Amino acid sequence: MKELQDLAHKLLSDGAVTVVMGWEQGPRGVRPAMITTAANSHRLIFDPRCVHNLATYLNPRRSHLKSLGKPAIVVKGCDAKAVAGLIRESQIKREDVVIIGVRCGGVVRKPTQAPELTTDTVSPRCGRCDAREPKLVDHLVGPALPEPPKTCSVDMVARLEQMPVQERWAFWREELSRCIRCHACREICPMCFCSTCVADKSRPQWIETSATPRANLAWQMTRVMHMAGRCVGCGECTRACPAEIPLGLILAHVAQSVEQRFSYRVSDDPTLPAPVGAFKTDDAQEFIL
Amino acid sequence: MNSKSLSLAELAALVRDLNASGTSVVAPVPTRSLCGADYRPITELNQATLNGALPRRSLKELFLPASEVLLRYRLKKNDVELLPVPTTFTPQVILGARPCDAAGVAVLDRVMGWDYRDELWFGRRAATTIVSLACPGFDGVCFCHAVGLNPDASLGSDVLLVPRGADAYWAMPVTDKGEALLARGTFADLVEPAEVTAFRKAAEEKVAKNLASLPSGFHTFMAQSFDHPEFKAIASRCHGCGACAAVCPTCHCFDIVDEPEGMEGGARRRNWDFCATCKFTVHASGHNPRATQNERFRQRVMHKFSIYPQRFDAVLCTGCGRCVRACPAGMDLPEVLGHLYAAQAAGGVS
Amino acid sequence: MNIYQPHLMRIDEVVAETSDTQTFKLSFKDPQVAQQFKFLAGQFGEYSVFGEGECTFCIASSPTREGYIECSFKAAGKVTQSLKRLSVGDTIGFRGPYGNNFPLEQMKGHSVVFVAGGIGLAPVRSVIWNVLDLRDQFKNVTIIYGARSVGDLVYKRELAAWAVRHDVKLWTTVDPGGQTADWKGEVGFVPAIVEKAAPVATDAYAVVCGPPVMIKFTLPVLAKLGFAEERIYTTLENRMKCGLGKCGRCNIGPVYVCKDGPVFSAAQIKALPPEY
Repeated sequence: MKELQDLAHKLLSDGAVTVVMGWEQGPRGVRPAMITTAANSHRLIFDPRCVHNLATYLNPRRSHLKSLGKPAIVVKGCDAKAVAGLIRESQIKREDVVIIGVRCGGVVRKPTQAPELTTDTVSPRCGRCDAREPKLVDHLVGPALPEPPKTCSVDMVARLEQMPVQERWAFWREELSRCIRCHACREICPMCFCSTCVADKSRPQWIETSATPRANLAWQMTRVMHMAGRCVGCGECTRACPAEIPLGLILAHVAQSVEQRFSYRVSDDPTLPAPVGAFKTDDAQEFIL
Repeated sequence: MNSKSLSLAELAALVRDLNASGTSVVAPVPTRSLCGADYRPITELNQATLNGALPRRSLKELFLPASEVLLRYRLKKNDVELLPVPTTFTPQVILGARPCDAAGVAVLDRVMGWDYRDELWFGRRAATTIVSLACPGFDGVCFCHAVGLNPDASLGSDVLLVPRGADAYWAMPVTDKGEALLARGTFADLVEPAEVTAFRKAAEEKVAKNLASLPSGFHTFMAQSFDHPEFKAIASRCHGCGACAAVCPTCHCFDIVDEPEGMEGGARRRNWDFCATCKFTVHASGHNPRATQNERFRQRVMHKFSIYPQRFDAVLCTGCGRCVRACPAGMDLPEVLGHLYAAQAAGGVS
Repeated sequence: MNIYQPHLMRIDEVVAETSDTQTFKLSFKDPQVAQQFKFLAGQFGEYSVFGEGECTFCIASSPTREGYIECSFKAAGKVTQSLKRLSVGDTIGFRGPYGNNFPLEQMKGHSVVFVAGGIGLAPVRSVIWNVLDLRDQFKNVTIIYGARSVGDLVYKRELAAWAVRHDVKLWTTVDPGGQTADWKGEVGFVPAIVEKAAPVATDAYAVVCGPPVMIKFTLPVLAKLGFAEERIYTTLENRMKCGLGKCGRCNIGPVYVCKDGPVFSAAQIKALPPEY
């Protein structure tokens, strides 16, 4: 932690950056922090409660953050993939952000929990992690940490895949019935950066805005398809959803599909092209022809 | 009517009686949610959890659904036929409402009845009897006391129940509707027992610790503090996602849209909308009066603690704390209020 | 009665004012509504294209003319684009009248100076005809109207009628570069023409509507001429949905444009937070 705080202090004092986006202790747990003065760099922390994917704050649409100037951002491996995605898709330039990677040993589900990692408290997505030491970094801080404990939660992705279609449909119909179209899933997602989301376009109205079964399904399916090959698996959409819909499950399934079909896993190498933006001559085609 | 004593068995019988007579009963029902419950219809009392679980969403959606049809239209050549929607609804009893949720409904009555009477809202209100269950104080977040309520507030309730041990309740009728409900059973009179008074007092003391009460003249101070430095960077971490408004008992802003139903017509609906979102106030020209998240968050605080009190003499917040628990970015309304109290004290009360 | 349910109206007349602005003349389909409908100059309505949505415009005709209302709109968004595709005989919806009104009663016995730009002439037109229909109750009437170019001037037929009236002083202008070879009016931005016209402020009210930049530069000119802020009226627009105070969208600080406006005095606007 001191390593991180000292680094932030130096970057801000030297004027290399004018804001460090990291995590701090809030009144009720860990929360994102925008540190704009070196004097405040002691507020930065890193522990298993640092669940938030801060890459979403690099979205150029957030004008009030853009006006803070050149950022440094603290990222776990999963977060670094999102920063890579933003660079890959030309939303930010590599040289316009200083990336401080932290070595991660897993996070809990909610930033308001206690920081102890057990099979009970660890976030299930950490079991799928392949990036505990981020590579897309200007600086790397923190000690090497042990593997996260294996979650005792049921692997819902596998369970859903094994369900007969009717049962799976009933599961999602029930879950999506609680959707109220607040779009928190979209606002918190680093990869949802469109200045006007397709769901907000009215000429024509591609996706109805009402919280009805057909409109909710249209919205969620569209978002998932737009995330194919881009979703970094940070789980923020699931965490943000005030209706507690397990959105990450569909996204995890689609990520598996993309891996199977295109041998592609979202990586934190921004030069590696994604299937959505590139093609290889031996790409699978049986679903087209 | 005197206050009554109700046993669990008597309450269960009341639930069955209501269902049998065509009145639906809605209560907090346990779910696998992190909050523990949702307001859902029940047919038997044992389906409900009346032991203090806070439903993840408020009662608001029972009166202002997340998406509600305002009217239907059928399109013909050169003409349109309008099909009105009913403004009378099946009777329902909400059993075990949180006092903060019941109060939220009563607070919203004011804007819903402002000059133009919203018959859809009041139709649902008329059909509903609210039986609140006094709360022991939920956690360190909630602040009903600070906004002038209490964990045993009866604002918006027709009957207030207070638990007596694990299997009995003291019931206080608050309105005529509440009396009519209690008259359905033959419940023994019971003057408020000491244990009930003690429960209520302990709950109030517990919640009062979470946040100091709104200072006198707060809404006036807020009205004059539009450009206060407190708001300059208040929302740097806010995503503008609307989760806070979605779970809030008093947020009521809505959008109106037309959507097709079949080939020949459609429905005009009103849908929850969220002032936190960047497109809430954007004009067709592209101009946005609230161009950054700081301004949008300021609007949220102003609407609740200055504008609504000024127009309707009520704070548009019941202190339930759901916004704090739902926010994925750690925005914290009690923290914000604390800073604003300090700002008011520093600047002097006007 | 469900307050969100519109009245049905028939489009009786369509006038293409400019390439993207139209005026509709509308009558209520329900004779009882037609007979009972009353409004005051400055009030607005929510006009529906069923299947597309509602949009907000002022009522552009005068309350002195019964049996119909008129509205003018620019095809800028989804609903207005679909309104533009409608023709005589088609049905639309109308909810209203909503909002407050220009203080006609107060203005009686005084002179009135109307300043408008572009489509801002629409709400002003309601007051102009209200005043002209009761002409002897007012002193001097001055109308100063401009648009970006000759093609952007609205209500051209009425401008021609006002031009020849002896009891109206009319100035029309187009922005520099917007004139045609045969343009006989002024060339210059509206605030400059207001300065040139130099209407007398004594015993006078001003009604000003137009693009925000025009209002911004016109108010100081009027102030310099001696118009008190309480005697200058304008209308504010904001994104609206319900039009009747419930949906929480149109407020500027504690002021709801749909309930406390859309008509405001310059003094009231000065007191508003910078949120519009």
